[in-house]
Amino acid sequence: MKNILKKSIAVVAVAMTLVSCSKKEDAIMGTGTLKIQYENGFAGNELVLGSPTVATSQGEVLKISTIKYIISNIVLYNENGDVYTYPKSQSYFIVDEQTPTSLLISLPNVPAGNYNKIKFGIGVDQAQYNLGASGQGDFWTQAQAAGMDWGWAAGYKFVRFEGTFTAPSATPSVTADTSFMVHTGQTSTDYNYREVTLPLPTSALVRTTISPQIHLSTDLSKIIDGTNKVSLAANNNMGMGAMIMGGTVLTQISDNIPSMFSVEHVHNDPN
Amino acid sequence: MKTKYFVFLLFSVFYGCSDSQYVDVPLDFKVPSNFPQLVYNIGNNPPTEKGFELGKKIFYDGRLSSDGLVACGSCHIQANAFTHHGHTVSHGVNNAMGTRNAPSIQNLAFQTQFMWDGATTHLDLQPMIPLVSSIEMNGNLTKIMAMFAADAKYKLLFKQAFTDGQINSENMLKALAQFQTMVISSNSRFDKYRRNEPGGDLSADELAGYALFNSKCAICHATDLFTDNSFRNNGLAVNPLVNDVGRYKVTLDPNDYYKFKVPSLRNVEVTAPYMHDGRFGTLDAVLNHYSTAMVNSATLDPLLNQNGTIGIPLTSTEKQQIIAFLKTLTDNQYLTDSRFSDK
Repeated sequence: MKNILKKSIAVVAVAMTLVSCSKKEDAIMGTGTLKIQYENGFAGNELVLGSPTVATSQGEVLKISTIKYIISNIVLYNENGDVYTYPKSQSYFIVDEQTPTSLLISLPNVPAGNYNKIKFGIGVDQAQYNLGASGQGDFWTQAQAAGMDWGWAAGYKFVRFEGTFTAPSATPSVTADTSFMVHTGQTSTDYNYREVTLPLPTSALVRTTISPQIHLSTDLSKIIDGTNKVSLAANNNMGMGAMIMGGTVLTQISDNIPSMFSVEHVHNDPN
Repeated sequence: MKTKYFVFLLFSVFYGCSDSQYVDVPLDFKVPSNFPQLVYNIGNNPPTEKGFELGKKIFYDGRLSSDGLVACGSCHIQANAFTHHGHTVSHGVNNAMGTRNAPSIQNLAFQTQFMWDGATTHLDLQPMIPLVSSIEMNGNLTKIMAMFAADAKYKLLFKQAFTDGQINSENMLKALAQFQTMVISSNSRFDKYRRNEPGGDLSADELAGYALFNSKCAICHATDLFTDNSFRNNGLAVNPLVNDVGRYKVTLDPNDYYKFKVPSLRNVEVTAPYMHDGRFGTLDAVLNHYSTAMVNSATLDPLLNQNGTIGIPLTSTEKQQIIAFLKTLTDNQYLTDSRFSDK
């Protein structure tokens, strides 16, 4: 009898240990995975790194070598009015055209529901920066590996857009391939973090059995050819290249950034 | 049979959810009574015994740099209030030369801006600048994390110091911040004088120097930390070989040309050479600059250009009295505190 008692105590203890460690498993009930696919393009055409784009409204032709951006602070809006904010510390991603796996963001553990709107940030928001290291996990390491840290100011590059350009119709004209580098991030005057909210044409139906994919088109021409028209030739510093990393022109570019994203379509395929 | 169950029960309790039963001990962080308000949010990253130990180990570890040799502690030497004695500017990896003099590490939790040009406003993030700079440590975070993960002592410390136990850049920066927030200098003879504590006697010359300091220097070197955290052009001739534009580099505001952060003067006796580029070797040279050698320019601080007089008029007796006062700011307890040392 004594032995049975002891055994049952042991069993209860084991059960308690297991329960205390496996709450997560219970919480997974009623959640699913949402995926976001970023497809980079330029003025309606697919992006081919290193190949000439169509001319911008300023008559400039770009050969893009690098496009990377930080996606953060993902918020999902349910048809029923609920708002689900994805855990902030887990919602930092670097989307990099040269790393195909980075173009598909996977968000596990999203509560099942019908989501008809998505919001996300481009960059790292100021409240997060003001927290210092807290909540950044390994993001600094990832950012440095991707060349997205802004080391001299202990910050991040939010968007990194690089390549060469020609501007035959500019005065003076730029006929030889000339480098450009657009880096957005915190400057002393502007924080330059931006958010974009996009309604979904079809609701994303997150279920335990369905992992919806939201396909976003990113029109990179909008970076310099959006509401604000920025001429690379006009920023070509003594023919040394257009290095845009600060000043009011960077804020104009940052204001253009949200408009480069649009929703192409939503898949609701079963797992 | 009995013992087996008992042992199993113990294991269930201690090892059910975590790998270690070590409980980290919070460190006592006190704001000295004569200090201004704390700036750092200590509640976000409260220093603990193991967090501090980890931060100190990282601070003194040359393996963070690309050549495996340059540690934070290489250019921030405790005996010199964590500055680089004898170096106008410091050398980083591969003998690369910087352009600025290594600033002191003391009382950083009370400061709002870091680096000579204020490139960052958060103490947690400041170490990223020298860590990744190609002329300082040139560190690669991916390699640094791998180095931590392959080192048993680091693995244990990360586990003990942080609830998530993760080896990552966040915890590395938090540990460095815990070490740095604890590095407080508050027990100089001057501090004891200010707090009416035993050992706080100042001589007549030192008191005269303090009065002069208050009337001539304390607007910028304000509070008992001796800085107002502002950026100012103090009339140094621009070195044409470097043309360090100072604060302008951060703000791109022409009004900020050649402005640098007003440094704390604590332990100034041992932090030579002086100024952002270490151009002056002695305190006499510094005071001679302020009294007679200043160069006018568009961004010279207005306080240093009053009624057509550039600089701060000082007699040689006044200079000696001010220097006597400045030496009362030397805090031997902090300079020799074994908690902060590499040993």
